[in-house]
Amino acid sequence: MSNTAATLYNPSNLPSNDNINDYSYCVDVRGQMFVRNGKMIAYYGQLRFEALGSVGLAGLINRAFNSASYVSDFIVINGQGKLIVGDNGNNIASYNLENGNLTVKADNLLAFEDTLRCQESVVEGYLTIIGSGLFLASSCGPVMFAVPPICVDEQALLGWADTPCPSYRYDYSYVQSTLSHIGAMVGIGASGEEKQLEFKKIGNDDMVLIQSSESNLRGRDMLEKILAMLPGLDHDDAQAVYSNLYNRIHGQQ
Amino acid sequence: MPTFSLKNDRLLEVTLMNEKVSALAGAMVAYEGQMKFEKLVLGGEGLFGALRRAVSNEGMPLMSTSGSGKVYFAHDAQTISILPLQNEKLFIESRNLLAFDQTLRTSTAFQGLRGGSGSGFFTTTVEGNGNVAVFSDGNLIRLEVSPQWGPLFVDPDAFIAYKGNIQQEFHFDVNWRTMIGQTSGESYQLKFTGNGVVFIQPSELKS
Repeated sequence: MSNTAATLYNPSNLPSNDNINDYSYCVDVRGQMFVRNGKMIAYYGQLRFEALGSVGLAGLINRAFNSASYVSDFIVINGQGKLIVGDNGNNIASYNLENGNLTVKADNLLAFEDTLRCQESVVEGYLTIIGSGLFLASSCGPVMFAVPPICVDEQALLGWADTPCPSYRYDYSYVQSTLSHIGAMVGIGASGEEKQLEFKKIGNDDMVLIQSSESNLRGRDMLEKILAMLPGLDHDDAQAVYSNLYNRIHGQQ
Repeated sequence: MPTFSLKNDRLLEVTLMNEKVSALAGAMVAYEGQMKFEKLVLGGEGLFGALRRAVSNEGMPLMSTSGSGKVYFAHDAQTISILPLQNEKLFIESRNLLAFDQTLRTSTAFQGLRGGSGSGFFTTTVEGNGNVAVFSDGNLIRLEVSPQWGPLFVDPDAFIAYKGNIQQEFHFDVNWRTMIGQTSGESYQLKFTGNGVVFIQPSELKS
């Protein structure tokens, strides 16, 4: 039995800005902080939760949140207290920036202090965090840190720090096969790994963050994917899905 | 008393010596020795108890396992924790109950109105001397509730169980901004005061 499961926590022995276990993190809130919508699981103290669109937050948003596409994904937590965050059982890791920048997959950004500035990266679906302060990111499996030059699978990429500049790299055989129509028709070279993101080394502190999985975070967009696939089912398959769901909803095995 | 232990953090091992244990129907993954598995008629709570469960939607599809040997339980590779009770009453979401000593008494308790989480107006109580095994999405976190720490607030979907002399209320963090449709998504929480322990999971998905 793991040690953490036996510990009885209260505000005096909860970790201060540290993980409780791989899947939960305790933040000492003093002032304002951005947290992904719905990821608070418990808290002690005086905390208030406000939507980014709230009147009165305009100054903060202007200073710290420059990412129009993600406004509805985050809320502002205000006050003093111990905040516990969890993300569907995904792994959570914290990052301390000192006058630096780190770009992470937008879906994986979990929380950040208002001393940081969050901007949309030129790479679509990524957010760049600039400044000094603490931020949290979730990942499917633990995070591996790698030093460029390195090639990374697009799904496994979590983010990168400092100046490496990612570009797509295609395997030569794949480029060849798409050049020839016959190759494209028979699908030569389709190993599933023919397209990678390549990071070149530029600065001394360059770092690439890789999650140990090619799957997306648990609990993100799964419903959308399933619903999108449903029209492809024939009648018998649909019947099988229906009875499976029926049994699940009504608690039979 | 049946011995509860964890084979690993996702597999429960129960040792029985001519004893009985109640478990979530279908949660048995293996057994050694002589075991009998029966559906618990009326959930073992009698006709009135079964009626209350039907009405309260705190349905518990349970089976009774009896015999001598070792039996292993698991559920969707979820993390399992053992909570020993010593003449205590545990208030638990029935969706997280994996197995418990059959000498423990179970019932349903009215918990007041609970909003969108779908967990209903009722919660299940387990009372007496013995072990309860619960499963959670990620390691279970134990949080102390005491007047010296002030109230504890918990997301309804992360909540699993509590024990002790605790009052549970519904806390609505509603202000005029919420009223005009800009919700923070955290506008409704469970508030715990008193003395005791609250168990939560590091996830807001229903397990």
